[in-house]
Amino acid sequence: MGAAHPEAMAPPKPGRTRTAPPQMPSTWWSAPRIRTYLLFDATGFIYFLVGFHAIHMIRALGEGPEAWQAVMSSLSHPLYILFHVVALASVIFVAVRFFRLFPKAQPPSIGPAKPPPGNVIHAMLYVVWIGITLVMSLALSGVIF
Amino acid sequence: MPTTEKTIVLTRFDPDKDETPRKQEYQVPCEPSWKVLDAVNFIKDELDSTISYRWSCRMAVCGSCGMMVNGEPKLTCKAALDEYGSRVEIEPLANFPIVRDLVVELDGFMHKFESVKPWIIRAKERAADMENLNEKGTYSQSTEELADFKQFSMCINCMLCYSACPVVANEPEFLGPAAIALGHRYNLDNRDEGTEERHEIFRGEGTVFSCSYANECSEVCPKNVDPAAAINQAKFGAVIDWAKGLVLPRGGSN
Amino acid sequence: MDVFRHDIVIVGGGGAGLRAAIEAAENHPDASIALVSKVYPMRSHTVSAEGGAAAVARDDDNLELHGFDTVKGSDFLGDQDAIQFFVEEAPKELALLENWGCPFSRNEDGTVATRAFGGMTTKRTWYAADKIGFHMLHTLFQQSMRFPNIVRYDEYFVSKLLVDGGTCRGVAALDIRTGEYKTILGRAVILTTGGGGKIFPFTTNGTIKTGDGMALAYRAGVPLKDMEFVQYHPTGLPGTGILITEATRGEGGYLRNNQGERFLVDYDYGVGNKAELGPRDMISRAIVQEIEAGRGFKGPYGEYVQLDLTHLGEEKINSRLPFVRELAKTYVGVDPVHEPIPIRPVVHYMMGGVDTDIHGATSLPGLYAAGETACVSINGANRLGSNSLTECLVFGAAAAQHAMDFAGGSSEGNEAALRAEAEDEAARVENLRGRRKGGEKISEIRRELNGIMEASCGVYRQQDSMQAGVIEAAQLRGRVADLRLEDDSKVFNTELITALELANMVEVAETLAVSAAHRKESRGAHTCKDFTTRNDQDYLYHTMAYHDPAGPRLGKKDVVLGKWVPEERKY
Repeated sequence: MGAAHPEAMAPPKPGRTRTAPPQMPSTWWSAPRIRTYLLFDATGFIYFLVGFHAIHMIRALGEGPEAWQAVMSSLSHPLYILFHVVALASVIFVAVRFFRLFPKAQPPSIGPAKPPPGNVIHAMLYVVWIGITLVMSLALSGVIF
Repeated sequence: MPTTEKTIVLTRFDPDKDETPRKQEYQVPCEPSWKVLDAVNFIKDELDSTISYRWSCRMAVCGSCGMMVNGEPKLTCKAALDEYGSRVEIEPLANFPIVRDLVVELDGFMHKFESVKPWIIRAKERAADMENLNEKGTYSQSTEELADFKQFSMCINCMLCYSACPVVANEPEFLGPAAIALGHRYNLDNRDEGTEERHEIFRGEGTVFSCSYANECSEVCPKNVDPAAAINQAKFGAVIDWAKGLVLPRGGSN
Repeated sequence: MDVFRHDIVIVGGGGAGLRAAIEAAENHPDASIALVSKVYPMRSHTVSAEGGAAAVARDDDNLELHGFDTVKGSDFLGDQDAIQFFVEEAPKELALLENWGCPFSRNEDGTVATRAFGGMTTKRTWYAADKIGFHMLHTLFQQSMRFPNIVRYDEYFVSKLLVDGGTCRGVAALDIRTGEYKTILGRAVILTTGGGGKIFPFTTNGTIKTGDGMALAYRAGVPLKDMEFVQYHPTGLPGTGILITEATRGEGGYLRNNQGERFLVDYDYGVGNKAELGPRDMISRAIVQEIEAGRGFKGPYGEYVQLDLTHLGEEKINSRLPFVRELAKTYVGVDPVHEPIPIRPVVHYMMGGVDTDIHGATSLPGLYAAGETACVSINGANRLGSNSLTECLVFGAAAAQHAMDFAGGSSEGNEAALRAEAEDEAARVENLRGRRKGGEKISEIRRELNGIMEASCGVYRQQDSMQAGVIEAAQLRGRVADLRLEDDSKVFNTELITALELANMVEVAETLAVSAAHRKESRGAHTCKDFTTRNDQDYLYHTMAYHDPAGPRLGKKDVVLGKWVPEERKY
């Protein structure tokens, strides 16, 4: 297994001797480092499902109170709970990874201004994230607003 | 010195004799202090002088000896052999066409490298630029200004990042980590005035926006260049320049 | 056979070769410059240089002082006119390198910083943390990409110079990728292939340093000058020989023996109060003597002494010597912030090389040389650290200028004759490919060569072992003609290249052994136990070694003296 694109790193002119096509090693997927990245990319499928579920809920909202009640009661099904726990874990996993990388992608300066140091940005991201989560939880559960 | 015997498996490929690459095994008595390259050199000197591979400095600075070791791109002169078990599989760098045994074709990379204009670009010729030079004939640069780009200037062109990058594997035109990091290094250098030109190249055919911030390149880089950071910083700059270009045709200031 | 025509051909793509290519290309935009290298240029061994490049920079420094330090460092064997030219051009060349983007370390006021270095009276070594060679090579290589008239032949091995009508007019080169020979013609040729440290077993040099250019010139009848002078860098790692830069001492490091003493201070080794910043030849001798006196440490790779950086502090090491820290941790498992680094003298540089004049011209019209390949001589019997990178720039540029001038006045030569010469060479090398009927194993001959050179041409030399070395080297020359090669493939056959390199190494080694045996005095890096003093009366000249089927034939060349009269060399 494991062929890369046949023209990966293609030369600008025809090769002067016959080359073997670029290969990925057969165990390319097994290194711990790349397994983390594959998992990261795989979480995209979970968001697809989350989105699908959200559309389902919105449709039920439009169909009237009984449809809505049906959706609400189905949410207490253990499989749904498991799904949402997995979705939450994915979001946290992706956020932690993104927060780690985001500060490094800041340019050294934006015009004359220098962005704050990496660890400050890193901390700020968590503060903002947890802050918004708290506010939304309190709002959705009716405690505030 | 007490040695441990390991099985070293090398990829072999001679285009005149082999249809496709094959594997060959060697039993090598390995010393505890050896790097992976020492085992390969032992094979060439003592067991099979027909193997071909690149190496030179053996101190992790020339960038010649990159190979896949048990599936991971490594600088074989730096990777300690005793971190591997009794079977070590050495293959040519992934994502590059294979020329012979462990030797890959680098023409594609060299072309990408040259296309980012990796030199100091000044608006004026040196003779007309003299007022910007101090009395010793050098440009003024503070330690902070040097620190802005220093990390990105440490690339030894070993190309492990290209082997690790999932985008390079699938998109042949993608400029790739080392080339973009090098272009970005010049963009950040206060002596350079060619940022806009390079950002145009970054938005061009080999577009930096192909990068999905997998960060694999930075994970394998033996010199901690962090090319992923360079690419994503470059994306930011490339967008700003594009926006400026819309508002102020012919580009604003540098 | 393919024939390619250019104005000049540069062999070797390191610091000197790239500088020469840029000089020629920038000043002659219509000229076509071939840059032929057996490796991609960024792999050249210039990349491993660490400490810095010297040029007068500070107000408390002047050209005369740099010149005198260099002359004294050379033990008065350096040619003073060349040294004068060198120190004058040095600041301009380094400023140009900075303009091209080299990331030099800086002072508070934004000017380029300088550090102290061995044998230099004041701070004049421009540095880039501790990776000057890396930054210089990459800056030059990247700058060279601006010029479309520099045509690169990457991974082509030049095995013969093509001479017609008494003038050098090109090279015969093996395209390593396809295994086929090409004729690359130019109206001048510049050799910038570096030195030949790999003839020794313990060396800072990478595997590509096999003296190819020196052998090419030698076989074409050009003499090799001062070959006996080989620099042992005092601080290399035991076993691998990896370089630990002199800058460690420039930043304040100490050398200690197994008693914990700073032996350069506590005993008299001629370095005076310069201590660890004395010239390399004296410090290497001091280390060998300490080990012989039983004050060294014993390790799995032989005996060594210690380089102590623990008092410098983590911050200084991380900002000025980060690469050294990485090397010590990776290759000897020692963190220099906490523990001393084990070191011993290892072969580093060849002061000798292809005899050239101050313009880089050799005795063969049309052939030039620069960098470690050449011997101008500015380094004489011992080179000061940080002079050689500047040497690459100054003489790379000078050789290119004069080669282009020569090319402008030279004719094309007889293409048919040149091609025939190349075809003969191709046939000769083709016979070597996969030569299973040979009797000698490549790795065996290389090991024996290393053994002979270590025994006869070490830090301390003796007449009887040198004479033995001469005989053994001559025998090797005979044996290397009967190599056994297993690999008969055409594509990227590295065994064939190794065999060609080994033949070059053996020639270079023989000239070294013969030159060393004949010099019955001690001067600079050549220390003879039988003749322990410097003898200006009888030996103030350059040794010239000429190619001869019976073995190198020796001659003499006068040293160009000047305002500095040879005196006792004490620091």
